[in-house]
Amino acid sequence: MALRATTIAFDVMGGDHGPAEVVRGAALLSLEAPHIHALLVGDGQVIEEALATTRHNAERISVHHAPTFVAMHEKPASALADKPEASVLVAARLVADGEADALVSCGNTGAGVLASARTFRLLAGVRRAALASVYPTRTGHGENQDPFSLILDVGANVDAIADDLVTFAVMGSAYARIISKNPNPTVALLSNGTEATKGPPRVVEANQKLANHPGVRFVGNVEGVDIPKGTADVVVTDGFVGNVCLKMLEGVSETVVELARYAYASRLRWRMGLWMLANGLSQLKDLTDWQQYGGAPVLGFDKLFIKAHGRSRARAIANAGKVAAKAVSSDLAQAIQAGLG
Amino acid sequence: MSLPDRIDPPPARHIYRWDLDKTYLQTDFDSLRQLVRTALQKASQKTAVPGAAALIRELGAAGDSRLCIISGSPTQLRKVLEEKLKLDGVEWDELVLKDNVSNLLRGRFRALRGQVGYKLPVLLESRARAPVEAEEVLFGDDAEADAFIYSLYADLIAGRVEEPVLAQVLKAAEVYPEDAARILAAWHTVPRADPVRRIFIMLDRLTPPAYFGRYGPRVVPIFNYFQAALVLLGDGLLTPTQVVRVAADMVQTAGYNLITLSNSFQDLLRRGLPLQAVAAPLVQALEGALQGPDKLLAALRPVPDIVKAFTRRVAALGATPPLPPATRVDYLQLLDDARPRGKLRSRAARGVRSSK
Repeated sequence: MALRATTIAFDVMGGDHGPAEVVRGAALLSLEAPHIHALLVGDGQVIEEALATTRHNAERISVHHAPTFVAMHEKPASALADKPEASVLVAARLVADGEADALVSCGNTGAGVLASARTFRLLAGVRRAALASVYPTRTGHGENQDPFSLILDVGANVDAIADDLVTFAVMGSAYARIISKNPNPTVALLSNGTEATKGPPRVVEANQKLANHPGVRFVGNVEGVDIPKGTADVVVTDGFVGNVCLKMLEGVSETVVELARYAYASRLRWRMGLWMLANGLSQLKDLTDWQQYGGAPVLGFDKLFIKAHGRSRARAIANAGKVAAKAVSSDLAQAIQAGLG
Repeated sequence: MSLPDRIDPPPARHIYRWDLDKTYLQTDFDSLRQLVRTALQKASQKTAVPGAAALIRELGAAGDSRLCIISGSPTQLRKVLEEKLKLDGVEWDELVLKDNVSNLLRGRFRALRGQVGYKLPVLLESRARAPVEAEEVLFGDDAEADAFIYSLYADLIAGRVEEPVLAQVLKAAEVYPEDAARILAAWHTVPRADPVRRIFIMLDRLTPPAYFGRYGPRVVPIFNYFQAALVLLGDGLLTPTQVVRVAADMVQTAGYNLITLSNSFQDLLRRGLPLQAVAAPLVQALEGALQGPDKLLAALRPVPDIVKAFTRRVAALGATPPLPPATRVDYLQLLDDARPRGKLRSRAARGVRSSK
């Protein structure tokens, strides 16, 4: 099947590794994906300097100059108010105007979400957009048996009512169906017990609604312990709890690495053990490398915003572009809309 | 009054020198298998780089130019290469191929891959036969040493290179003594002039454009021949209608579209090429051409879409940077470029050109 030509707007500024890394990611994309065009938004001179020294295909890249940007430490609302020509806002406007099909940014998350909220339209039936994230699991999911599940919301909103959780379930289900090639993904609500009556009132109410929802393969509630197990393909929660869970998963992962380093440095026997396991550990790292999966989509708008990790390197940026293009060419927004009825 | 015995063609005002493999032809010989496959290809199986034939035809349309092709392909391929050029409607004045069988039989193994000792004498000897006032535009690629050789050639005939420097370059490039002697002899017979206006380097291996900054603004790395046509329009060597024809050919034969063409235009602007002035005449040419009988041009998308796409690309840049200043090329610092380059997969091998 011929892939649909798509244009992805990249907010070049604001990532931890600077604009050149994002440019390198877009350059990589221009070499690997003939159907994707990259629209690089940011300081024109900085972008050109990086492009000129990077292997790329200029036929698939264009530049839109934006004089300012929102830094990681800035407060999103005030920064966007002070900088109407900030790269993320300009990029979002270009997407809204049809110059590009989706937005990718590894800059300030709040600014990206807010820029999307100000320029994109919420889909009919969606009260609040959600930030979704993939996380590594024990079991494989979808056609490719990817060891990742999806959790949402992980921070676009702090609060959510029962209807929001139902909407998140529909949106996550559509995303898993399209991006993870999982034709019938399982969806669960995160709670403090698997029984339908467990949890705060909004979770209990959402459970009842999802149990009768025709477009979602709802498998009930799951507990925190089920997240890394991969019990469900999609885990639904509010932004506050989701963000805490995600950060905890990242923290555990980093601690395990630290412990391995400590063990390596402490005893010869442990070092030899790790050395013998090195190949397997390396494969496991590759398998669960978040950089393979590009970034976290903000779901619920008529246009897609992929929030790439602030620490994204070129490979992760390129993959975020590919995920965005895949979602666009598969009409993710339409699929979500259809699921919402 | 009696008629003259014969009517000589007018002397050439422009000379266009082209390399073949990876410049005019999409060729892959990075591996032995690809080399064998290329050697066995029929003319009809060979594919030109999109827009190359159209550009050559347009450059020759005025009838006051010469097309001189110099290729590293072996002489045994002459028949098939000539057939291919004829199939593409390309008329040439010189077609020089490399006699590698002779090099092999004479034990000149360095000459099999060497470019400087082969191309430089051919270029200089051809120049010696050319009208002194004829200006030149050269086309090469980034797979071999074309940027180095063409620049050296241009600076040699302009008198910007001293003989000791040339001697050092020839030594570093491991040029055989008889080839070095040919180069010196030809160089001394060429009248001093500064005729080389542009050197286009097709980025077959997608070498970053900044790599060629060392050769000054005369060398323009290009991602496609629409870019070359735009620069030549700016230089006054093509008309806007001719540029539109090259673009239309690329759209029809290679799947180029509004995005890829407007991106290509913006890429040149970002690199400082002063092309803002060509936009208005191009628009006029488009509007005029679409009312004419030319079917190729009629196949283009509606003019307002095209104008909008190009205008947006220009506006999106804000201020465009200035062209880097011309600098004297230090060939002794660039000697590595005189040697055959390492292996990097070509665009054709990566499938980059095949689908837009």
